[in-house]
Amino acid sequence: MKRIVVLCCLLFLLINAAYAQDASTTIDQTIADIFEQWSAESEEVPDYQTFYEELEFLAENPINLNHTSREELSKMLFLSDVQVENILAYLYQYGPMENIYELQLIDGLDMTDIRRMLPFVMVKKEKAVSEKIYRYDVLNYGKNELYMMFNRDAETRQGYQASVSSIGDSTNQGKKYVGSPWYHSAKYRFHFKDRILAGMTFEKDAGESFFGSAHKGYDSYSGYLQINRLGIFKTIVLGDFRANFGQGLVMKSDFSMGKSSYVLNVVSRNEGLKKFSSTDEYNFFRGGGATIRLPRNWETSVFYSNKMIDADTVGGVFSSIYKTGYHRTENELNKKHTICQQVAGGNISWRLLWLQTGITFVHTNFDQALVPEKTTYNRFYFSGKAQNTAGWNYRVHWQKLNLFGEAAVTGNFHPALLSGFTLSPLSLVNLVAVYRYYSPEYDTFYALALSETSRTNNESGLYLGAEINPAKKWKISAYADSYRFPWPKYGIDAPSAGKDYLFQTDFSAHRRLSMFWRFRHSNKPANISQENSVMPVVKAVKKNSLRYQLMYSQGNFSFRTAAEGNMVQKGENADYTYGLTAYQDLTYEFSSLPLKLDFRYQFFDAVAYENRLYAYEKDVLYAFSIPMYYGIGSRYYLNLKYELNRQFTLWFKIAQTVYADDREEISSGNEKILGNKITDVKFLLRFNF
Amino acid sequence: MKKMLCLLLIASTVSQIFPQISSIIPVSSSIAGTSVANTGLRSEFQNPAMLGYAKNSEIGMQHENRYALSELSTNSFQALLSTNAINADLSFSYFGYSLYHEMMTGLGFGRNFSDKFALGVRFNYYMAYFSASNSYRGALFPQIGLSYRFSSLFSLGFSTFNPFQTNIKTDFTQKRIPSIFSLGTEYYFSPELVWLAQIDREISSNYRLATGFEYQMLQQVSLKLGVYDAGYLVPCGGCGLKWNRFLLDINCELHPLLGLNSYAGLRYIFSR
Repeated sequence: MKRIVVLCCLLFLLINAAYAQDASTTIDQTIADIFEQWSAESEEVPDYQTFYEELEFLAENPINLNHTSREELSKMLFLSDVQVENILAYLYQYGPMENIYELQLIDGLDMTDIRRMLPFVMVKKEKAVSEKIYRYDVLNYGKNELYMMFNRDAETRQGYQASVSSIGDSTNQGKKYVGSPWYHSAKYRFHFKDRILAGMTFEKDAGESFFGSAHKGYDSYSGYLQINRLGIFKTIVLGDFRANFGQGLVMKSDFSMGKSSYVLNVVSRNEGLKKFSSTDEYNFFRGGGATIRLPRNWETSVFYSNKMIDADTVGGVFSSIYKTGYHRTENELNKKHTICQQVAGGNISWRLLWLQTGITFVHTNFDQALVPEKTTYNRFYFSGKAQNTAGWNYRVHWQKLNLFGEAAVTGNFHPALLSGFTLSPLSLVNLVAVYRYYSPEYDTFYALALSETSRTNNESGLYLGAEINPAKKWKISAYADSYRFPWPKYGIDAPSAGKDYLFQTDFSAHRRLSMFWRFRHSNKPANISQENSVMPVVKAVKKNSLRYQLMYSQGNFSFRTAAEGNMVQKGENADYTYGLTAYQDLTYEFSSLPLKLDFRYQFFDAVAYENRLYAYEKDVLYAFSIPMYYGIGSRYYLNLKYELNRQFTLWFKIAQTVYADDREEISSGNEKILGNKITDVKFLLRFNF
Repeated sequence: MKKMLCLLLIASTVSQIFPQISSIIPVSSSIAGTSVANTGLRSEFQNPAMLGYAKNSEIGMQHENRYALSELSTNSFQALLSTNAINADLSFSYFGYSLYHEMMTGLGFGRNFSDKFALGVRFNYYMAYFSASNSYRGALFPQIGLSYRFSSLFSLGFSTFNPFQTNIKTDFTQKRIPSIFSLGTEYYFSPELVWLAQIDREISSNYRLATGFEYQMLQQVSLKLGVYDAGYLVPCGGCGLKWNRFLLDINCELHPLLGLNSYAGLRYIFSR
């Protein structure tokens, strides 16, 4: 009851607040909007921390459009290859820009794109010179940031409760969490311009112990140092880092450019070595690397990593890598850091204005052999202690045509190929086509290319996308993807094929009002259990979903109204099942106080799991939520950002989901909660110095 | 006793067929209950954002009769105070008979921001009498509303009643207070003709889709026609009469199974 009164009083205060004024969209919000659109149709949320940090860093060190390169512009992940080329072509044709308004004259950039670009670009006549790094400047002008985050559920999960059956039963002890229900992370970040970047991250997940019998301190530690443009070195990284080369067939440990409503952005970008500053406990390298500029437009990168990974080892072998990073129970602790993984690799590239080509090589080695438990679907999965993978990538720009691709082989000569083009036949029309073939035997650890599933193997397909601006304020985006799995996959016990279509119409009436309609149809193969069949039968699961979203802002208020429905048919003659969700967001940014509030009320109705729905919600800094909903119920949250002074900023979020489908428990196993409510509280403090 | 059993039977049937419309929430004066985006009319316990559009103070009372059974009637009252800073209302509603009755009191606030959008919140206190324990039990919960006007012709409204799904628990039973999400639109074809559409979802019940037209035939007379679907298709009709500062709204709907449901509301609008 107290909670309700507090929430209502806050809303009441909000109503009484000052009249609306024009509020500038914050960089936080711009980045979150870009990420939302990028990940909206994805069930696996990519690493938001990395995404956010890269764009935030770009906002602090904006690109000078008059002295830029393709590589630099590609850091704006929301721009398509065609748009990047159009910006470069404009600069080549008309010379340096006089002011930022000239962006409106560039083909293929609509007002939404320009608004999104503005925080990350600037126009300056003079070229920034790369100065020497002096210790005095680093110590006096470097920026330091410290983040402390706390998070926990208000309800007690089963794993934190003492079990009567576990008393005196050593085998059952492993099922209980060894730590407290608090999640906690601490991050320190330092950067001097874009030349020196350093940081450390400490993390303890909910359920993991902190200064207990299992740990003497945090569960996870991470650190990095990155130096850019130092003599012949383009980049030097030490500590934890990531590497991305080519189209991702050989090496891409960052986030992938998959299918999304940015239909043209399926081409992998953002190449090279870079720091790792996320709290992900698996997907990174630990060691060092460097990128060296060579004469005649050659460039080479080399890296080496040596880290311990989690796995369940039995008899000197392990069957799979444990990637979640959770060490909450005895069983999970027993898997911690049991395998030593070494990765060495490199890339050599030749870059001209119209051509870029390169070769990538990666060697991975384990101290014990990986031997997956053989079943039909994983028959061709990698097995052994060492693996080599190599690939050749290219990119050619000619007139309004961009060709790109990569071909790769593993040590046992099983191939993978990705090739495509982007074309802008008219200024209002942009097209993309990508063909992919990943053989069933092509199974390498760091491949992350355009794919229907999270695994880049056992798939062939053709992706076609188009973006059309038929009239001012209107944009139509569409893609069609047809794919085939030549060998069974996890959850699909036979060779199969599927289709995926998306059609989206955007309307931006003016700066304060925009909306879109998004229709998606997918026809995916899946095992379906039948009464008269012992074995599951592979059938097509058809899903149609329609989403409408409206964004409206007036003064310090902004609103978002969204409704989404879907219908699913499992097999040809099965009945359709339905899911529906709708929500209303309200954001208010005070003029007289450094305070921003977000409130949402949402209801959802998706009885069957197949009809589950996803909806992005605002969160504390560096966190990004796209919760999944199924069942019947409602969810609401209050998100608050308060700048205590120039140095301290505070974020707070409280969210609650209440189920109305008479369920008496939520989740299962150690994560089970008794009751029909789940409440999540988050707190983040940032200290700049 | 026989009468009591019949009443209970009918009441339970009504609650099965119209679970999304709780008897304690008075029906709106908008046709087919399409009040969430209707900027022209205000009703008790409807979208509190609409309070913001009131230019004058007003008082009103209404009576709703369900299927010619006095025991299933709801009576309600609303007093609205309009000020330069914020508009406020006090609403009260009563449903039931001696052995079972429910009451609800609400204090609402709404404000219109530059005629572009309006926000409102109402704090409702719901109370029910339980004859088994010979006692009243109550709960406090909010009602939140929002309305945005994209142009003079088109607006969109959103309202949520009891968003936190607050319920009343007694030793013997649990009384569920409805939790309703409503979204609707208003479109003026001309100053005389408005089209309203709305979707409601009570969290444990079916969707209710409603639409209707309101036509201002003369300055003193308006006609209304609409329909809603909540399992059954229910046609609705009504009229509005204006006489000096008095407004009289009469609506009725014909349920194919249960019969006629009628509503009459009288409002008096004060001068500024």
